[in-house]
Amino acid sequence: MSKQPAVHTEEVWKVFEHDGIAVEAVRGVTMDIQAGEFVVMAGPSGSGKTTLLNLLGGLTRPTRGKVWIDGNDLTEMSERQLAQLRLRRVGFVFQAYNLLPVLTALENAEFSLLLRGVPDEQRHRQVKALFEKIGIAGLENRRPAKLSGGQQQRVAVARAVVGEPALVLADEPTANLDTATSVALLDVMTKLNQEMGTTFVFATHDERLMARAQRLIRLVDGAIETDDRRSAPAAQ
Amino acid sequence: MTKRWLVLPRLSWRNVRRQWRRSLLTGTAMALGVAALVFSRTLGDGAHEDWIDSGVRMGSGHVAVQDPEYRASRKLEDRISATDLEAVSAALEAPDVASYVERVTPRLEVIGLANSPTSAVPVIIMGVDPAAEAEFSQLGVEQRLVEGRYLEPGDRLHVYVGKRLADRLKLELGSRLVLSAQDATGEIAGQLVRVVGIFQTGVPESDEGIVHIPLSTAQQWMGVEGDVTTLAILLNSAWVVPRVLRSVRARVGEATDGVSVLGWRETMPELDAAIKLDDFWGYLFNIVLFVIVALAIVNTILMSVLYRTREFGVLRALGLTKRETATVVFTEGLMLTVLAGLIGLGLGFGLVWLLFRNGLDYSGAIESDFTFSGVVLDTLIIPVFRWVQVVMSLGSIMVIGVLASLYPAYRATRIDVAEAMKFEA
Repeated sequence: MSKQPAVHTEEVWKVFEHDGIAVEAVRGVTMDIQAGEFVVMAGPSGSGKTTLLNLLGGLTRPTRGKVWIDGNDLTEMSERQLAQLRLRRVGFVFQAYNLLPVLTALENAEFSLLLRGVPDEQRHRQVKALFEKIGIAGLENRRPAKLSGGQQQRVAVARAVVGEPALVLADEPTANLDTATSVALLDVMTKLNQEMGTTFVFATHDERLMARAQRLIRLVDGAIETDDRRSAPAAQ
Repeated sequence: MTKRWLVLPRLSWRNVRRQWRRSLLTGTAMALGVAALVFSRTLGDGAHEDWIDSGVRMGSGHVAVQDPEYRASRKLEDRISATDLEAVSAALEAPDVASYVERVTPRLEVIGLANSPTSAVPVIIMGVDPAAEAEFSQLGVEQRLVEGRYLEPGDRLHVYVGKRLADRLKLELGSRLVLSAQDATGEIAGQLVRVVGIFQTGVPESDEGIVHIPLSTAQQWMGVEGDVTTLAILLNSAWVVPRVLRSVRARVGEATDGVSVLGWRETMPELDAAIKLDDFWGYLFNIVLFVIVALAIVNTILMSVLYRTREFGVLRALGLTKRETATVVFTEGLMLTVLAGLIGLGLGFGLVWLLFRNGLDYSGAIESDFTFSGVVLDTLIIPVFRWVQVVMSLGSIMVIGVLASLYPAYRATRIDVAEAMKFEA
C-alpha cells in the first residue's frame, strides 16, 4: 500500500472564459484525500463541485495549481498519459449513468479491463463476482435500454470499481434515482468502500449521501468552506 | 495491446448496427452510387468497344503497319516491301503477340477515279485479300450487302462497290467500269473491272468513296508485285493494343528498314477524341454523383458524432485516447463504405447482367443510323465486364468513404470531455 495520498491538490484554480468574462469555478483548493476514504463534496449549484471532480479525474486541466493522483502529477501529463491514468487509476460514475448503449451490461462493466488487455476469462470472472456483490447478477447480457435507472447506475458503479482504481469519482450518482433505489445504490458503494477499500469522492446535493460521508467537504463559490472528518461510513 | 485495438472496430460495428436506419439510408445512397458507376462503366465500355470494333474494321485495324510517310502522303511510293512484310508477319507470330491477333489483312490502297460511260467519281481503290478482308471489314456481310456478293478468292477483274457510287455511275451487277490511278512508275494506268457486288454501310463517304478489288489484281496493275501500303491487324480486344504495339514495334524496328506500327488512336484520332469526350462526360457525371454520396456520408457520420457527443466524452473518460476515439468514428465510416461498396457492386453487375447481358438496344431512341468519323455505330450495346471496373468502382467509393469519414473523425477528437458530460442529445 502506498503511503502517499490517493489525491493531493495544491492551490488549484480553474477559470473559464465566457464572452470575455472570467468565471472562477474553482479557487485555490488545496487538499489531500487518503486511500480508502469516503468523501462527499457538497455545496449549492455553481459551487464548483463538478469542476473540481473533473480536475481530480484529469478530464480538464487546472488554470493554476497542481493535482496529483496516486503520486502522479496530472498537470505535467500529456493527453495520452492522462488517458492511461484515467484507464488505470480513476473510475467515474455519472449522474446520467452514461453506459455505452451498444454494449451489454457485462461489456460495459468490463470495458476498462478490455482496454487493459485482461484475458476474457479473468474479465468475466471479475465482473460476474462484482455483479453478484452489488445485486445485479443475471443482468449481464442486457443492453442499458433494457435496465432500470438503478440497475444502470449499479452497472456504472461496477464499471468504475472493477479495475480497482486509486479513486472513484461520482458526480451526483443518485440525482436521477428514486429514494429506495438511491439508498440501495449508496449501500452498494458503502459496501465496496468497506470491503474493497475503494476510495470514493462524491459531488452531491443528496442529504442521505452526506449523512454517510466519512468526510464532508463543503464548497462555496469554488473554495472549500468546511472540511469535516467523521467516522467510517455505515450502510443504512 | 492488440486486444485493445480489437475493441475499437467492435464498437464501430455495433454503432453502425445501432443507427441502422441512418446506416441503411447512407449505405443505400452509397450502394446506388457504386451501382450507377458499374452500370455506366459496363455499358460505356461495351459501347466504346463496339465503336472501336466498328471503327477498326472499317479502318485499318487496331494496329496498322505502314511506311512512315504513307499516312501523310497516301502515295504508292510510300509502301511496304514484301521483305518488310515478312518481318512484320514474323513479329506477329511471336508468342507474346500471336494470342492477341485475330485477323491480319494486307491492303494496297491508291487514290484514283472510278469511270463509267456516264461519269467519273474519285475513290479510294483498295486491293484486298478477299478471304482475309471478308472476315476483317465485314463489308460483305449480309446486312451490308445490297446485291451480288463480296469478292472471293480466285476473282481477278472484279470490283465491289458502294450503293451511292453505283447510283452515281449508274452501275448494276455485271456492269463494267474503268479504275484509273497513278502506278509505281508515275504513269496514269487504267484497269477494267466488272461489278460483282454492291454494299451499303450507311456512311456516305464509304458508300461512295471506297471500292474493293482483289489484291493481286491491284498489285499487278500498279506494278508493285508483293508490296502493300497497309497491313491491318485486328486484335481480340482494344485493351491489349498498347502491349501489342510495344512488342511489335520492338521486333519490327530491328528487322526492317523502317516501318510505322500505329495504334488505332493514331490512325483514327477522331474516334479516339470521341471516346475520350464520352469518357469525360461519364466521369464528370460520376464525380457529381460521388460528391453527393460523400456529402451523405459526411452528414450521417457527423450527425452521429454530434448526437453521441456525451458518449465520446464517456469513452475518453474511460481511457480512450483522442486517436482511438477518432478511429472508432473513422472505422464506422469505413465499414459502411466497404459494405455499401460490395452491395453496390453486386447490385450494379447483377442488374446489368440480368437486364442487359444480351445487349441494350437504343434503336428506338434514334431515327436513323448513328454514324460519325466514317463509322456506323451499332444501336445494340453489349455490356463489357472487367476486373478493372470492380477495382475502379470499389476504389472510388473507398476514396470517397475515407475522405468523408476523416472530418467527422477529426470532430470527435475536438470534443471537450468535461463539456461533453453536460451534453443532452
